Amino acid sequence: MTRMWRHVAGVSALLCSKSGFTGSVIMVFLTLSRWIRNRGPDRYWKVQELLKSARHFRGRKNRCYSLAVRAVRRAFVYASKARKTKRHSMRQLWIQRIAAASREQHMKYPALIHNLLKCSVQLNRRALCDLCISEPRSFKALAALACARRTEGFRAALGDGSHPPGVFSRITQPITAQHG
Amino acid sequence: MTLNLRNISGMLRLLRVAGARLSQNTEKRGFGFQSSSSIIYPASNVPQTSLSRPPWPELPAFDPEEEERRHQAIVQKVNGLIEKGECGRLFAVVHFASRQWKVTDEDLILIENHIDAACGDSIRMEKVLLVGGNDFTLVGKPLLSRDLVQVHATVIEKTESWPMVHMRFWKRHRFQRKRIIIQPQTVLRINTIDVSPKLL
Repeated sequence: MTRMWRHVAGVSALLCSKSGFTGSVIMVFLTLSRWIRNRGPDRYWKVQELLKSARHFRGRKNRCYSLAVRAVRRAFVYASKARKTKRHSMRQLWIQRIAAASREQHMKYPALIHNLLKCSVQLNRRALCDLCISEPRSFKALAALACARRTEGFRAALGDGSHPPGVFSRITQPITAQHG
Repeated sequence: MTLNLRNISGMLRLLRVAGARLSQNTEKRGFGFQSSSSIIYPASNVPQTSLSRPPWPELPAFDPEEEERRHQAIVQKVNGLIEKGECGRLFAVVHFASRQWKVTDEDLILIENHIDAACGDSIRMEKVLLVGGNDFTLVGKPLLSRDLVQVHATVIEKTESWPMVHMRFWKRHRFQRKRIIIQPQTVLRINTIDVSPKLL
């Protein structure tokens, strides 16, 4: 423990000169003042900032700081994780919708995607989903394109090479954006 | 399974053997490689198994000239529609900011990053994957030509997103990190989508 008292020499000298008493020492207890901590001036505002994110919670966790700290931490962590899984679940949803729409057109989802890729049509699942919902005719055209490419593939594999190769399996030059 | 010559000839051999076992009166046309359409199955009451027909669908008869004529007719019709200008409201699938957007006229788009254009500037989106109207669709392989389609947009607003909190926490390990993420955002308004009458 630090020194609990300090010999205050100046005070003793003064007292000595007045009362004619030399060599005495007065003890001042310092520990009590050291025990008083200055905790920081803005605790109220920090607490309010945290409770602001908890105001819409249920029960005492929207009012009491200790309960709110735990609830708010969980809420933030769940939100961070959900932002990642939202991307996964959106992709799953798109795939389900495209599969349903392609089955309406008598095609299966893997066949549709693979044949569209073989025709070098690089529409992603989000765009295909939007098309199958709002542009059914265009989606029907894409499904027909994939079906035609599929039959061309079968014909090329099953036939003996005497038939013509087909239109949709022709490899076209990719169009690059030219500047100037 | 992959459709190469070896797999197909194996399957056809199996089918031929199955057909021969069923009855002895099956007709056989030609020797060696046989296409699936030339196997004649007897009209006996045998239940359908996984080998009674090949796993690929029956291919329809194919006439290349007929196909050519049909394709030409469709192209002429679409060209006529575009030249007359009777397309109606067009939509386009545009690749922009590493995403694909399905876009029409007067659409608003929110993009989660910064664009080097001031507010009020006009932008032309060049990577168009698909353009369509009520009666026709033009599909690019993978992109459509710059001369064929023009998509023009205006930058309306450049803001920042609300402060998102990214927090990580492992229980019983005294590990906690909190970070506030503010994304720049841009709002675009799609003004026009034009198709020029020059298909073939």
